[in-house]
Amino acid sequence: MHDRTIQLQLGIGAIIAAAFLLLVAIPTWVSSPSNVPNIILSPLFWPWVLAGLTAITGLAMVLTSIREPRPAEPAISEIDDKPRAWGRLASIAAVMVVAMVLMPRIGMVWTAMLVFVATAYLVRTSHPKTALVSAVVIPLVLYAFFAHVAGVAIPQGDFVRLP
Amino acid sequence: MSFLDSLMLGLSMVANIESFLALGIGVAVGVIAGAIPGMSATMAVALTLPFTFALQPITGILLLLGVYKGGIFGGSIPAILIKTPGTPASSATVLDGYPLAEKGQAGKALGMALWASCTADLISNLALILFAGFLASFALNFGPPEFFTLMLFSLTIIAGVSGESLLRGALSAMLGLLLATVGLDLIYGTNRFTFGDANLMGGLNFIAVLIGLFAIPEIIAMVWNPKAFDGQKRAMGKSWVEFSEYRRCFKSIVRGSFIGVILGAIPGIGAAPSAFLSYSEARRTSPNKANFGKGELEGVAAAEAGNNGVAGATLIPLLALGIPGDVITAIIIGAFMIHGLQPGPMMFVINADIIYALFIGLIVSSVFLFFVGSVAIHGFKYVADIPRGVLFPSVLVLCIFGVFAVNNSIFDVGVMFAMGWVGYFMLRYRIPAAPFLIAFILGPLLEDNFRQAMLMSGSSPAILFRGPITWFFWTLTAITVFAIIRAGIRATRQHRALRTANQA
Repeated sequence: MHDRTIQLQLGIGAIIAAAFLLLVAIPTWVSSPSNVPNIILSPLFWPWVLAGLTAITGLAMVLTSIREPRPAEPAISEIDDKPRAWGRLASIAAVMVVAMVLMPRIGMVWTAMLVFVATAYLVRTSHPKTALVSAVVIPLVLYAFFAHVAGVAIPQGDFVRLP
Repeated sequence: MSFLDSLMLGLSMVANIESFLALGIGVAVGVIAGAIPGMSATMAVALTLPFTFALQPITGILLLLGVYKGGIFGGSIPAILIKTPGTPASSATVLDGYPLAEKGQAGKALGMALWASCTADLISNLALILFAGFLASFALNFGPPEFFTLMLFSLTIIAGVSGESLLRGALSAMLGLLLATVGLDLIYGTNRFTFGDANLMGGLNFIAVLIGLFAIPEIIAMVWNPKAFDGQKRAMGKSWVEFSEYRRCFKSIVRGSFIGVILGAIPGIGAAPSAFLSYSEARRTSPNKANFGKGELEGVAAAEAGNNGVAGATLIPLLALGIPGDVITAIIIGAFMIHGLQPGPMMFVINADIIYALFIGLIVSSVFLFFVGSVAIHGFKYVADIPRGVLFPSVLVLCIFGVFAVNNSIFDVGVMFAMGWVGYFMLRYRIPAAPFLIAFILGPLLEDNFRQAMLMSGSSPAILFRGPITWFFWTLTAITVFAIIRAGIRATRQHRALRTANQA
């Protein structure tokens, strides 16, 4: 992707985001008491200012992108195997979602072990045995430190509880 | 009691094996804690506090000060080696430290970080001794209008860390400012973007945002293209910085140290804004301006000088006025009280010997920091030799534990993951992350001080120009904005001239 295209896309994105903030997000999700004496003191004032500034920044980005000529070299280099890369990206997103679901249920240590193995697989580790050993040892060491030295209540889950 | 008597009494309190041991252990614990992402210096000081109950007052306080100083430096080690700032204060160190590590010069970057840290620490301690009373009384004059103008000026440093595009830097800052509005409104207590979730009422956790923005995108980037990292083992390179390089960066180190001293003496600002301001000033004045952000040793030196310059100076309001300058000094003030000491002007009269003992101990701590830091660098350099396929999953697991430990909150882990994707998007679309972080830190301070000033004046903007301090910061802001616009116009002209020459 060329630098000019990125700038244009970001500019349009910023304008859309600003419009969404001004028309939907701020009126819906920011509440203000009815007895505020002056708009400057209202909790709405700062989000409005920021939404306005975002729109101005987006507009400036669109204008500068239009004035920029198309360069020969793309700014973002593409990779060979795009569908697989997207698959890996979706997988790491799924790993994060699953980790959030599992953490309170099976405990942080066991979840961390699974996250370690999955991430090592996704980054195609060239040291699978080391990764497997580390996947077990590192969460246990971190648990020992945080739970027994720092006194943090690490989630234990409903099944196997650690001492 | 004369100055000399107090000094001698102070010396006698420090010149013993217990005090030196406490300082040494404190610095070592601090460096190790700072080097573990998520284990901030604050957490380390808080965890060490119970161990001081059984110690003599001066020994216990020196132990805590050692942890504090070690923790601030320790944060730079993972910032340089694995792009994960160990403490928020070392966020600016990532900008040039990590690119240097990628070039195989991690040892050089760590060496410079240590030299700059020790120099700044020494300057900060000397400033504490020389200017305690004066600087603290200056900071006491700050009200909301003065803080607002100071924050506004501090936001101009975004231009210095925006990299190749000021507009993308501005967009990043807007995103940071917007996310900082999440939570309960501090004046009226109404909801802002909380979606009815109690977890969001206190706002987004800073550590979760910080780690999500700086560490997770690297992991996602490696998942996207593992081949890009093949054979990219980051060698330590030259394991020590040369004296000529230290001399070249000396001006930036001294300037950064003084920025740290001034900002550190003002309660509530902390080390992170100081590091970014020092970095930005070094970039603005450096002949190697273009190299900043790509692995410039001077950038590492300036950032580390900025954050370590704060360490001694935050004790100025603490000792002279009894006001904690930041969270860590708030914990340290607890240690004073446990031992029956009340920091403040009267302490200089009643317990002058302890004050001077602390001053001497602080000077000694800079020396300890140098030696313990050297050992720590050589110990942690092995992180650079770990295969990436093992290192990155380890970092992910460490981040999960570290972020959870801050507030015992799984929700914060989720915030970290979400911010990781925001950071990855920014990385892919070449939007600089540093302006986001600065805006996220300064945004709430800017808004709160603005609204407090308006409340004070009955919504009259005249209060923002009420005295010499506000005028001083307005002038500085105007000069900086003018300089940014001028530099932007020059860069555009140069860019166009280059393009025309290429087309011809």
